[in-house]
Amino acid sequence: MYKHAAPTPTHHSAMETAPRQIVAFGGGGFSMESGNPLLDDYVLGLCRSPRPRVCFLPSASGDADHYIVRFYRAFPAERCEASHISLFRREQGPANLREHLLSQDLIYVGGGSVVSLLGVWRAHGLDAILREAWEAGVVLCGLSAGSLCWFAEAVTGFHGSPRRLRGLGLLPYSNCVHYERGGERSDAYHRFLREGMVSGYAAEDGAALHFIGERLSHVVASRPRARGYRLDAHADRVVEMQLATTYLGDARARPGVPVPEALSTAAAG
Amino acid sequence: MPAASGSAAGEPPNGRGRAGAPVRRLLALGGHDFTTSPPDRAVCELLLRLAAKRGGERPRICLLPTASGDPSEQIGRFYAAFSERACQASDVSLFRLGRRPVVLREHLLSQDLIYVGGGSMVNLLAVWEAHGVAAILAEAWRRGTVLAGQSAGAMCWFEAGITKSSGRAGVAQGLSMLPGSLCVHYNNEPDRRAAYLEAVEAGLPDGYGLDDYAGLLWEGDAAPAAVAARRRARVYRVRRRPEGVTETPLPARLLPSPVPAALREDILEFRRLRALRRRTGRLG
Repeated sequence: MYKHAAPTPTHHSAMETAPRQIVAFGGGGFSMESGNPLLDDYVLGLCRSPRPRVCFLPSASGDADHYIVRFYRAFPAERCEASHISLFRREQGPANLREHLLSQDLIYVGGGSVVSLLGVWRAHGLDAILREAWEAGVVLCGLSAGSLCWFAEAVTGFHGSPRRLRGLGLLPYSNCVHYERGGERSDAYHRFLREGMVSGYAAEDGAALHFIGERLSHVVASRPRARGYRLDAHADRVVEMQLATTYLGDARARPGVPVPEALSTAAAG
Repeated sequence: MPAASGSAAGEPPNGRGRAGAPVRRLLALGGHDFTTSPPDRAVCELLLRLAAKRGGERPRICLLPTASGDPSEQIGRFYAAFSERACQASDVSLFRLGRRPVVLREHLLSQDLIYVGGGSMVNLLAVWEAHGVAAILAEAWRRGTVLAGQSAGAMCWFEAGITKSSGRAGVAQGLSMLPGSLCVHYNNEPDRRAAYLEAVEAGLPDGYGLDDYAGLLWEGDAAPAAVAARRRARVYRVRRRPEGVTETPLPARLLPSPVPAALREDILEFRRLRALRRRTGRLG
Protein backbone atom coordinates (compact mmCIF):
# COMPACT_ATOMS: atom_id res chain seq x y z
CA MET A 1 0.00 0.00 0.00
CA TYR A 2 2.67 2.50 1.07
CA LYS A 3 5.10 1.80 -1.66
CA HIS A 4 7.73 4.45 -0.89
CA ALA A 5 10.29 2.94 1.39
CA ALA A 6 12.51 5.13 3.51
CA PRO A 7 15.26 6.51 1.26
CA THR A 8 18.04 6.43 3.86
CA PRO A 9 19.03 3.57 6.15
CA THR A 10 19.13 5.88 9.21
CA HIS A 11 15.46 6.61 8.80
CA HIS A 12 13.17 4.53 10.99
CA SER A 13 9.77 6.13 11.29
CA ALA A 14 8.38 6.01 7.76
CA MET A 15 8.14 2.24 7.72
CA GLU A 16 5.99 0.63 5.13
CA THR A 17 3.11 0.39 7.55
CA ALA A 18 3.33 3.98 8.79
CA PRO A 19 -0.06 5.67 8.53
CA ARG A 20 -0.59 8.88 6.63
CA GLN A 21 -0.96 11.70 9.16
CA ILE A 22 -1.75 15.38 8.98
CA VAL A 23 -2.10 17.69 11.96
CA ALA A 24 -3.76 20.94 10.90
CA PHE A 25 -3.53 23.75 13.46
CA GLY A 26 -6.18 26.47 13.43
CA GLY A 27 -3.38 28.62 14.80
CA GLY A 28 -0.72 27.99 17.43
CA GLY A 29 2.60 26.31 18.02
CA PHE A 30 5.86 28.27 18.21
CA SER A 31 4.66 30.77 15.58
CA MET A 32 1.79 32.05 17.68
CA GLU A 33 2.07 30.67 21.19
CA SER A 34 5.43 31.67 22.57
CA GLY A 35 5.99 29.72 25.79
CA ASN A 36 3.23 27.19 25.03
CA PRO A 37 4.85 24.20 23.29
CA LEU A 38 1.82 21.87 23.65
CA LEU A 39 0.96 21.58 19.95
CA ASP A 40 4.61 21.35 18.88
CA ASP A 41 5.17 18.66 21.54
CA TYR A 42 2.14 16.81 20.25
CA VAL A 43 3.38 16.62 16.65
CA LEU A 44 6.90 15.65 17.81
CA GLY A 45 5.26 12.93 19.89
CA LEU A 46 3.74 11.41 16.77
CA CYS A 47 7.21 10.65 15.42
CA ARG A 48 8.50 7.21 16.25
CA SER A 49 12.13 8.17 16.33
CA PRO A 50 13.57 9.36 19.70
CA ARG A 51 15.32 12.18 17.85
CA PRO A 52 13.00 12.92 14.93
CA ARG A 53 14.03 14.66 11.77
CA VAL A 54 11.92 17.80 11.46
CA CYS A 55 11.94 20.05 8.41
CA PHE A 56 10.38 23.50 8.48
CA LEU A 57 8.85 24.98 5.31
CA PRO A 58 8.51 28.74 5.79
CA SER A 59 7.41 29.32 2.16
CA ALA A 60 4.16 31.09 3.09
CA SER A 61 6.14 33.83 4.82
CA GLY A 62 8.53 34.30 1.90
CA ASP A 63 11.13 32.38 3.94
CA ALA A 64 11.38 35.20 6.49
CA ASP A 65 14.67 34.96 8.39
CA HIS A 66 13.20 35.79 11.80
CA TYR A 67 10.66 32.98 11.37
CA ILE A 68 13.36 30.44 10.52
CA VAL A 69 15.34 31.50 13.61
CA ARG A 70 12.26 31.05 15.81
CA PHE A 71 11.74 27.56 14.38
CA TYR A 72 15.28 26.50 15.31
CA ARG A 73 14.79 27.89 18.83
CA ALA A 74 11.55 25.95 19.23
CA PHE A 75 13.03 22.73 17.82
CA PRO A 76 16.50 22.58 19.43
CA ALA A 77 19.10 19.95 18.62
CA GLU A 78 18.57 18.03 21.87
CA ARG A 79 14.98 17.26 20.88
CA CYS A 80 15.23 16.68 17.16
CA GLU A 81 17.30 17.00 14.02
CA ALA A 82 15.92 20.24 12.64
CA SER A 83 16.32 21.61 9.12
CA HIS A 84 14.49 24.00 6.85
CA ILE A 85 14.02 24.48 3.14
CA SER A 86 14.09 27.98 1.75
CA LEU A 87 12.67 27.96 -1.77
CA PHE A 88 13.89 31.53 -2.23
CA ARG A 89 17.49 30.50 -1.55
CA ARG A 90 17.80 27.12 -3.18
CA GLU A 91 21.53 27.54 -3.68
CA GLN A 92 21.99 27.27 0.11
CA GLY A 93 19.72 24.36 1.01
CA PRO A 94 19.58 20.66 0.20
CA ALA A 95 20.10 20.11 -3.53
CA ASN A 96 17.60 17.29 -3.73
CA LEU A 97 14.30 18.47 -2.25
CA ARG A 98 12.53 15.14 -2.68
CA GLU A 99 15.26 13.13 -1.00
CA HIS A 100 15.46 15.57 1.89
CA LEU A 101 11.71 15.74 2.47
CA LEU A 102 11.15 12.00 2.18
CA SER A 103 13.82 11.39 4.83
CA GLN A 104 11.96 13.45 7.45
CA ASP A 105 9.77 12.28 10.31
CA LEU A 106 7.85 15.54 10.45
CA ILE A 107 7.33 18.37 7.95
CA TYR A 108 6.18 21.57 9.62
CA VAL A 109 4.62 24.27 7.42
CA GLY A 110 4.59 27.85 8.66
CA GLY A 111 1.91 30.50 8.28
CA GLY A 112 1.57 33.42 5.90
CA SER A 113 0.06 33.71 2.45
CA VAL A 114 -1.49 30.42 1.29
CA VAL A 115 -1.84 31.79 -2.27
CA SER A 116 1.89 32.53 -2.46
CA LEU A 117 2.70 29.23 -0.71
CA LEU A 118 0.85 27.13 -3.27
CA GLY A 119 2.32 29.10 -6.18
CA VAL A 120 5.89 28.62 -4.99
CA TRP A 121 5.38 24.95 -4.06
CA ARG A 122 3.99 24.12 -7.48
CA ALA A 123 6.88 25.93 -9.17
CA HIS A 124 9.35 23.68 -7.34
CA GLY A 125 7.30 20.48 -7.56
CA LEU A 126 6.67 20.36 -3.80
CA ASP A 127 2.99 19.58 -4.28
CA ALA A 128 3.88 16.14 -5.64
CA ILE A 129 6.76 15.58 -3.20
CA LEU A 130 4.63 16.39 -0.15
CA ARG A 131 1.92 13.99 -1.29
CA GLU A 132 4.59 11.33 -1.67
CA ALA A 133 5.97 12.12 1.80
CA TRP A 134 2.47 11.88 3.30
CA GLU A 135 1.89 8.53 1.64
CA ALA A 136 5.27 7.35 2.93
CA GLY A 137 4.24 8.14 6.51
CA VAL A 138 6.03 11.44 7.07
CA VAL A 139 3.81 13.42 9.47
CA LEU A 140 2.67 16.70 7.89
CA CYS A 141 1.62 19.59 10.08
CA GLY A 142 1.28 23.32 10.04
CA LEU A 143 -0.72 26.29 11.13
CA SER A 144 -2.86 28.77 9.27
CA ALA A 145 -1.66 28.67 5.62
CA GLY A 146 0.20 25.52 6.73
CA SER A 147 -3.17 23.94 7.58
CA LEU A 148 -5.28 25.21 4.67
CA CYS A 149 -2.82 23.89 2.09
CA TRP A 150 -3.58 20.19 2.79
CA PHE A 151 -7.29 20.40 2.07
CA ALA A 152 -9.30 20.26 -1.16
CA GLU A 153 -10.72 23.69 -0.47
CA ALA A 154 -9.83 26.45 1.92
CA VAL A 155 -11.30 29.65 3.29
CA THR A 156 -8.54 32.21 3.27
CA GLY A 157 -8.96 35.50 5.05
CA PHE A 158 -5.39 36.57 4.46
CA HIS A 159 -6.05 38.87 1.52
CA GLY A 160 -8.78 41.13 2.81
CA SER A 161 -12.27 39.64 2.71
CA PRO A 162 -12.44 35.83 2.93
CA ARG A 163 -12.09 33.88 -0.31
CA ARG A 164 -12.41 30.29 -1.50
CA LEU A 165 -9.25 28.63 -2.61
CA ARG A 166 -8.20 25.19 -3.88
CA GLY A 167 -5.53 23.49 -1.82
CA LEU A 168 -3.39 20.42 -2.50
CA GLY A 169 -6.37 18.16 -1.82
CA LEU A 170 -4.65 15.50 0.31
CA LEU A 171 -7.70 15.72 2.56
CA PRO A 172 -11.01 15.76 0.63
CA TYR A 173 -12.60 18.43 2.84
CA SER A 174 -12.75 22.15 3.25
CA ASN A 175 -10.85 23.94 6.01
CA CYS A 176 -11.04 27.20 7.88
CA VAL A 177 -8.40 28.41 10.38
CA HIS A 178 -8.37 31.07 13.12
CA TYR A 179 -12.04 30.16 13.46
CA GLU A 180 -14.33 32.27 15.59
CA ARG A 181 -18.00 31.43 15.81
CA GLY A 182 -19.98 34.36 14.47
CA GLY A 183 -16.85 36.05 13.08
CA GLU A 184 -16.22 37.21 9.50
CA ARG A 185 -14.47 33.99 8.48
CA SER A 186 -17.22 31.86 9.99
CA ASP A 187 -19.90 33.84 8.10
CA ALA A 188 -17.95 33.45 4.89
CA TYR A 189 -17.36 29.72 5.49
CA HIS A 190 -21.09 29.16 6.04
CA ARG A 191 -21.86 31.09 2.86
CA PHE A 192 -19.33 29.09 0.83
CA LEU A 193 -20.80 25.83 2.16
CA ARG A 194 -24.29 26.92 1.10
CA GLU A 195 -22.82 27.78 -2.31
CA GLY A 196 -21.54 24.23 -2.71
CA MET A 197 -18.16 24.11 -0.99
CA VAL A 198 -17.36 20.58 0.16
CA SER A 199 -18.04 19.84 3.87
CA GLY A 200 -15.15 20.28 6.20
CA TYR A 201 -13.50 21.26 9.42
CA ALA A 202 -12.70 24.50 11.18
CA ALA A 203 -10.26 25.04 14.03
CA GLU A 204 -9.92 27.90 16.46
CA ASP A 205 -6.53 29.31 17.45
CA GLY A 206 -4.95 26.69 19.72
CA ALA A 207 -6.96 23.79 18.31
CA ALA A 208 -5.52 21.20 15.92
CA LEU A 209 -7.22 18.61 13.72
CA HIS A 210 -5.34 15.30 13.66
CA PHE A 211 -6.14 13.22 10.60
CA ILE A 212 -5.02 9.61 10.22
CA GLY A 213 -5.41 8.66 6.62
CA GLU A 214 -8.31 10.77 5.43
CA ARG A 215 -10.24 10.40 8.69
CA LEU A 216 -10.26 12.96 11.47
CA SER A 217 -8.95 11.01 14.43
CA HIS A 218 -8.64 13.54 17.24
CA VAL A 219 -9.00 17.19 17.97
CA VAL A 220 -6.35 18.44 20.40
CA ALA A 221 -5.75 21.87 21.85
CA SER A 222 -3.04 23.92 23.51
CA ARG A 223 -5.64 26.10 25.22
CA PRO A 224 -8.42 24.77 27.47
CA ARG A 225 -11.19 26.46 25.54
CA ALA A 226 -9.98 26.08 21.92
CA ARG A 227 -12.25 23.90 19.80
CA GLY A 228 -12.56 22.25 16.42
CA TYR A 229 -15.76 22.09 14.39
CA ARG A 230 -17.24 19.99 11.67
CA LEU A 231 -19.41 21.81 9.12
CA ASP A 232 -21.89 20.32 6.68
CA ALA A 233 -24.37 21.96 4.37
CA HIS A 234 -27.78 20.36 4.05
CA ALA A 235 -29.61 22.08 1.20
CA ASP A 236 -29.28 25.76 2.18
CA ARG A 237 -28.77 25.08 5.89
CA VAL A 238 -25.32 24.77 7.45
CA VAL A 239 -24.90 22.46 10.42
CA GLU A 240 -21.93 23.32 12.61
CA MET A 241 -20.96 20.75 15.22
CA GLN A 242 -18.46 21.43 17.95
CA LEU A 243 -16.08 18.49 18.24
CA ALA A 244 -14.86 16.95 21.47
CA THR A 245 -11.42 18.46 21.95
CA THR A 246 -8.64 17.17 24.18
CA TYR A 247 -6.76 19.87 26.06
CA LEU A 248 -3.12 18.82 25.91
CA GLY A 249 -2.22 20.70 29.09
CA ASP A 250 -4.32 18.29 31.15
CA ALA A 251 -2.34 15.04 31.48
CA ARG A 252 -5.41 13.08 32.64
CA ALA A 253 -7.11 13.68 29.31
CA ARG A 254 -4.63 11.48 27.44
CA PRO A 255 -5.35 9.55 25.33
CA GLY A 256 -7.93 11.86 23.86
CA VAL A 257 -11.44 11.02 22.96
CA PRO A 258 -11.51 9.79 19.38
CA VAL A 259 -13.79 11.63 17.00
CA PRO A 260 -16.97 9.56 16.48
CA GLU A 261 -17.12 7.57 13.25
CA ALA A 262 -20.01 9.65 11.95
CA LEU A 263 -18.00 12.87 12.21
CA SER A 264 -14.58 11.62 11.16
CA THR A 265 -15.24 11.74 7.43
CA ALA A 266 -17.26 14.63 6.14
CA ALA A 267 -19.51 13.39 3.38
CA ALA A 268 -19.95 15.96 0.63
CA GLY A 269 -23.03 17.91 1.67
CA MET B 1 22.11 57.95 -25.72
CA PRO B 2 20.08 59.68 -28.40
CA ALA B 3 17.04 57.42 -27.89
CA ALA B 4 16.78 58.23 -24.20
CA SER B 5 17.53 61.94 -24.20
CA GLY B 6 15.56 62.59 -27.38
CA SER B 7 12.28 61.32 -26.04
CA ALA B 8 12.90 63.06 -22.73
CA ALA B 9 13.20 66.47 -24.34
CA GLY B 10 10.29 66.17 -26.72
CA GLU B 11 7.68 64.86 -24.35
CA PRO B 12 5.11 66.37 -22.06
CA PRO B 13 5.47 65.19 -18.43
CA ASN B 14 2.45 62.90 -18.58
CA GLY B 15 4.63 60.41 -20.41
CA ARG B 16 2.60 60.44 -23.60
CA GLY B 17 4.36 60.35 -26.93
CA ARG B 18 3.63 62.79 -29.72
CA ALA B 19 0.81 60.62 -31.06
CA GLY B 20 -0.86 60.65 -27.62
CA ALA B 21 -0.33 56.98 -26.86
CA PRO B 22 1.62 56.19 -23.67
CA VAL B 23 5.31 55.47 -24.23
CA ARG B 24 6.29 52.00 -23.04
CA ARG B 25 9.40 52.20 -20.88
CA LEU B 26 11.36 49.41 -19.32
CA LEU B 27 14.72 49.46 -17.55
CA ALA B 28 16.49 46.12 -17.12
CA LEU B 29 19.45 46.13 -14.72
CA GLY B 30 22.11 43.45 -14.39
CA GLY B 31 22.54 44.11 -10.68
CA HIS B 32 21.61 47.00 -8.37
CA ASP B 33 20.74 47.62 -4.72
CA PHE B 34 19.36 50.53 -2.70
CA THR B 35 22.56 51.25 -0.79
CA THR B 36 24.32 54.60 -0.51
CA SER B 37 27.19 53.56 -2.80
CA PRO B 38 27.64 55.98 -5.73
CA PRO B 39 26.69 53.48 -8.48
CA ASP B 40 23.57 52.40 -6.57
CA ARG B 41 22.59 56.03 -6.12
CA ALA B 42 23.30 56.84 -9.77
CA VAL B 43 20.79 54.16 -10.78
CA CYS B 44 18.24 55.53 -8.27
CA GLU B 45 18.65 58.97 -9.87
CA LEU B 46 17.89 57.43 -13.26
CA LEU B 47 14.81 55.75 -11.78
CA LEU B 48 13.62 59.10 -10.42
CA ARG B 49 14.15 60.78 -13.79
CA LEU B 50 12.24 58.03 -15.58
CA ALA B 51 9.41 58.17 -13.06
CA ALA B 52 9.22 61.96 -13.42
CA LYS B 53 8.72 61.61 -17.18
CA ARG B 54 5.41 59.97 -16.41
CA GLY B 55 4.45 61.40 -13.08
CA GLY B 56 5.88 64.93 -13.02
CA GLU B 57 7.22 66.45 -9.81
CA ARG B 58 6.14 63.82 -7.29
CA PRO B 59 5.95 60.56 -9.20
CA ARG B 60 4.65 57.39 -7.57
CA ILE B 61 7.32 54.69 -7.25
CA CYS B 62 6.44 51.21 -6.04
CA LEU B 63 8.75 48.36 -5.03
CA LEU B 64 7.77 44.73 -5.70
CA PRO B 65 10.19 42.65 -3.60
CA THR B 66 8.39 39.37 -4.44
CA ALA B 67 11.42 37.57 -5.88
CA SER B 68 13.16 37.46 -2.51
CA GLY B 69 10.06 36.81 -0.43
CA ASP B 70 9.42 40.44 0.54
CA PRO B 71 12.31 40.72 3.04
CA SER B 72 12.01 43.72 5.32
CA GLU B 73 15.71 44.65 4.92
CA GLN B 74 15.30 45.20 1.17
CA ILE B 75 12.09 47.17 1.71
CA GLY B 76 13.85 49.27 4.34
CA ARG B 77 16.74 50.07 1.99
CA PHE B 78 14.26 51.04 -0.74
CA TYR B 79 12.52 53.52 1.55
CA ALA B 80 15.86 54.86 2.77
CA ALA B 81 16.77 55.56 -0.87
CA PHE B 82 13.48 57.14 -1.92
CA SER B 83 11.47 58.41 1.06
CA GLU B 84 13.39 61.71 1.28
CA ARG B 85 13.26 62.29 -2.45
CA ALA B 86 10.68 64.03 -4.63
CA CYS B 87 8.44 60.99 -5.07
CA GLN B 88 5.77 58.95 -3.33
CA ALA B 89 7.33 55.62 -2.45
CA SER B 90 5.34 52.48 -1.64
CA ASP B 91 5.84 48.74 -1.65
CA VAL B 92 3.55 45.82 -2.37
CA SER B 93 4.47 42.75 -0.30
CA LEU B 94 2.44 39.83 -1.59
CA PHE B 95 3.46 37.78 1.45
CA ARG B 96 2.10 40.42 3.82
CA LEU B 97 -1.23 41.27 2.24
CA GLY B 98 -2.91 39.94 5.38
CA ARG B 99 -1.45 42.66 7.55
CA ARG B 100 -1.31 45.32 4.85
CA PRO B 101 -4.17 44.81 2.40
CA VAL B 102 -3.73 46.50 -0.98
CA VAL B 103 -6.11 46.55 -3.92
CA LEU B 104 -3.43 45.22 -6.25
CA ARG B 105 -4.76 46.33 -9.62
CA GLU B 106 -5.69 49.81 -8.47
CA HIS B 107 -2.43 50.38 -6.64
CA LEU B 108 -0.16 49.07 -9.39
CA LEU B 109 -1.96 50.84 -12.23
CA SER B 110 -1.66 54.15 -10.38
CA GLN B 111 2.17 53.95 -10.25
CA ASP B 112 4.56 55.92 -12.45
CA LEU B 113 7.38 53.45 -11.90
CA ILE B 114 7.36 49.89 -10.58
CA TYR B 115 10.69 48.45 -9.47
CA VAL B 116 10.99 44.68 -9.25
CA GLY B 117 13.69 43.42 -6.92
CA GLY B 118 15.93 40.41 -7.46
CA GLY B 119 15.85 36.91 -6.00
CA SER B 120 14.30 33.75 -7.36
CA MET B 121 12.91 34.26 -10.88
CA VAL B 122 10.92 31.02 -10.65
CA ASN B 123 9.31 32.02 -7.35
CA LEU B 124 8.70 35.56 -8.60
CA LEU B 125 6.69 34.36 -11.57
CA ALA B 126 4.91 31.63 -9.58
CA VAL B 127 3.76 34.07 -6.90
CA TRP B 128 2.76 36.69 -9.48
CA GLU B 129 0.79 34.03 -11.33
CA ALA B 130 -0.98 32.99 -8.12
CA HIS B 131 -1.95 36.60 -7.40
CA GLY B 132 -2.67 37.62 -11.01
CA VAL B 133 0.04 40.30 -10.87
CA ALA B 134 1.77 39.67 -14.23
CA ALA B 135 -1.30 40.68 -16.25
CA ILE B 136 -1.66 43.88 -14.20
CA LEU B 137 1.99 44.79 -14.77
CA ALA B 138 1.65 44.26 -18.52
CA GLU B 139 -1.38 46.52 -18.50
CA ALA B 140 0.42 49.17 -16.44
CA TRP B 141 3.35 49.07 -18.90
CA ARG B 142 1.02 49.56 -21.89
CA ARG B 143 -0.54 52.52 -20.04
CA GLY B 144 2.83 54.18 -19.53
CA THR B 145 4.00 53.01 -16.10
CA VAL B 146 7.78 52.58 -16.27
CA LEU B 147 8.79 49.03 -15.41
CA ALA B 148 12.24 48.59 -13.89
CA GLY B 149 14.01 45.77 -12.17
CA GLN B 150 17.30 44.13 -11.39
CA SER B 151 18.43 40.53 -11.65
CA ALA B 152 15.31 38.28 -11.52
CA GLY B 153 13.32 41.53 -11.71
CA ALA B 154 15.01 42.31 -15.05
CA MET B 155 14.95 38.84 -16.63
CA CYS B 156 11.26 38.25 -15.87
CA TRP B 157 10.13 40.54 -18.74
CA PHE B 158 11.97 38.53 -21.42
CA GLU B 159 11.21 35.22 -23.09
CA ALA B 160 13.81 33.59 -20.90
CA GLY B 161 16.53 34.26 -18.36
CA ILE B 162 19.32 32.41 -16.57
CA THR B 163 18.32 31.84 -12.98
CA LYS B 164 19.74 30.07 -9.95
CA SER B 165 16.21 29.52 -8.58
CA SER B 166 16.83 25.77 -8.35
CA GLY B 167 20.35 26.12 -6.95
CA ARG B 168 22.40 25.86 -10.14
CA ALA B 169 22.34 28.31 -13.07
CA GLY B 170 19.73 27.25 -15.61
CA VAL B 171 17.15 28.57 -18.06
CA ALA B 172 13.80 29.85 -16.78
CA GLN B 173 10.91 31.03 -18.89
CA GLY B 174 9.84 34.67 -18.53
CA LEU B 175 6.74 36.72 -19.35
CA SER B 176 7.79 37.39 -22.99
CA MET B 177 6.84 41.07 -22.80
CA LEU B 178 10.21 41.78 -24.42
CA PRO B 179 11.62 39.54 -27.14
CA GLY B 180 14.73 37.45 -26.65
CA SER B 181 16.62 36.42 -23.55
CA LEU B 182 18.58 38.12 -20.79
CA CYS B 183 21.41 37.08 -18.50
CA VAL B 184 22.22 39.24 -15.45
CA HIS B 185 25.34 39.51 -13.20
CA TYR B 186 27.11 38.70 -16.46
CA ASN B 187 30.80 38.97 -15.66
CA ASN B 188 30.12 38.95 -11.93
CA GLU B 189 28.93 35.32 -11.87
CA PRO B 190 30.94 33.28 -14.41
CA ASP B 191 28.74 30.16 -14.01
CA ARG B 192 25.70 32.17 -15.03
CA ARG B 193 27.42 33.53 -18.15
CA ALA B 194 28.65 30.03 -19.06
CA ALA B 195 25.14 28.62 -18.70
CA TYR B 196 23.78 31.45 -20.87
CA LEU B 197 26.32 30.97 -23.68
CA GLU B 198 25.61 27.26 -23.65
CA ALA B 199 21.85 27.82 -23.76
CA VAL B 200 22.07 30.32 -26.65
CA GLU B 201 24.31 27.89 -28.50
CA ALA B 202 21.64 25.22 -27.93
CA GLY B 203 18.86 27.39 -29.34
CA LEU B 204 17.73 29.84 -26.62
CA PRO B 205 16.66 33.08 -28.35
CA ASP B 206 19.43 35.70 -28.76
CA GLY B 207 19.58 38.39 -26.11
CA TYR B 208 21.74 40.44 -23.81
CA GLY B 209 24.22 39.99 -21.01
CA LEU B 210 24.22 42.67 -18.30
CA ASP B 211 26.97 43.18 -15.74
CA ASP B 212 26.09 44.49 -12.29
CA TYR B 213 25.41 48.24 -12.63
CA ALA B 214 24.81 47.96 -16.37
CA GLY B 215 21.34 48.32 -17.83
CA LEU B 216 19.22 48.49 -20.93
CA LEU B 217 16.50 51.07 -21.32
CA TRP B 218 13.65 50.58 -23.75
CA GLU B 219 11.66 53.72 -24.57
CA GLY B 220 8.90 53.37 -27.11
CA ASP B 221 9.81 51.49 -30.26
CA ALA B 222 13.43 52.67 -30.37
CA ALA B 223 16.29 50.24 -29.94
CA PRO B 224 17.26 49.90 -26.28
CA ALA B 225 19.86 52.28 -24.90
CA ALA B 226 22.73 50.87 -22.84
CA VAL B 227 23.54 52.63 -19.57
CA ALA B 228 26.18 52.01 -16.92
CA ALA B 229 26.60 53.30 -13.39
CA ARG B 230 30.15 52.05 -13.18
CA ARG B 231 32.91 52.53 -15.70
CA ARG B 232 33.69 48.86 -16.18
CA ALA B 233 30.06 47.66 -16.24
CA ARG B 234 29.21 46.34 -19.72
CA VAL B 235 26.18 45.49 -21.79
CA TYR B 236 26.66 42.65 -24.30
CA ARG B 237 24.60 41.69 -27.28
CA VAL B 238 24.69 37.90 -27.33
CA ARG B 239 23.83 36.15 -30.58
CA ARG B 240 24.07 32.74 -32.12
CA ARG B 241 26.05 32.90 -35.37
CA PRO B 242 27.08 30.13 -37.74
CA GLU B 243 30.60 30.39 -36.31
CA GLY B 244 29.34 30.20 -32.72
CA VAL B 245 27.85 32.46 -30.06
CA THR B 246 29.14 36.03 -30.19
CA GLU B 247 29.27 38.59 -27.39
CA THR B 248 29.43 42.19 -28.59
CA PRO B 249 29.83 44.96 -25.99
CA LEU B 250 27.46 47.86 -26.67
CA PRO B 251 28.49 51.48 -26.11
CA ALA B 252 26.89 52.57 -22.86
CA ARG B 253 26.05 56.02 -21.53
CA LEU B 254 27.77 56.48 -18.16
CA LEU B 255 25.21 57.64 -15.59
CA PRO B 256 26.34 60.72 -13.64
CA SER B 257 27.52 60.03 -10.11
CA PRO B 258 25.11 61.98 -7.93
CA VAL B 259 25.97 64.39 -5.17
CA PRO B 260 23.98 63.23 -2.14
CA ALA B 261 20.96 65.44 -1.47
CA ALA B 262 22.00 66.09 2.14
CA LEU B 263 25.46 67.22 1.08
CA ARG B 264 23.98 69.45 -1.60
CA GLU B 265 21.81 71.11 1.03
CA ASP B 266 24.85 71.64 3.26
CA ILE B 267 26.83 73.21 0.44
CA LEU B 268 23.98 75.54 -0.45
CA GLU B 269 23.55 76.51 3.21
CA PHE B 270 27.29 77.20 3.53
CA ARG B 271 27.26 79.34 0.39
CA ARG B 272 24.26 81.32 1.64
CA LEU B 273 25.99 81.92 4.96
CA ARG B 274 29.23 82.93 3.29
CA ALA B 275 27.40 85.38 1.02
CA LEU B 276 25.56 86.80 3.99
CA ARG B 277 28.77 87.21 5.96
CA ARG B 278 30.50 88.85 3.02
CA ARG B 279 27.68 91.37 2.73
CA THR B 280 27.73 92.13 6.44
CA GLY B 281 31.51 92.33 6.32
CA ARG B 282 32.10 89.85 9.14
CA LEU B 283 34.01 87.44 6.98
CA GLY B 284 36.78 88.43 4.64
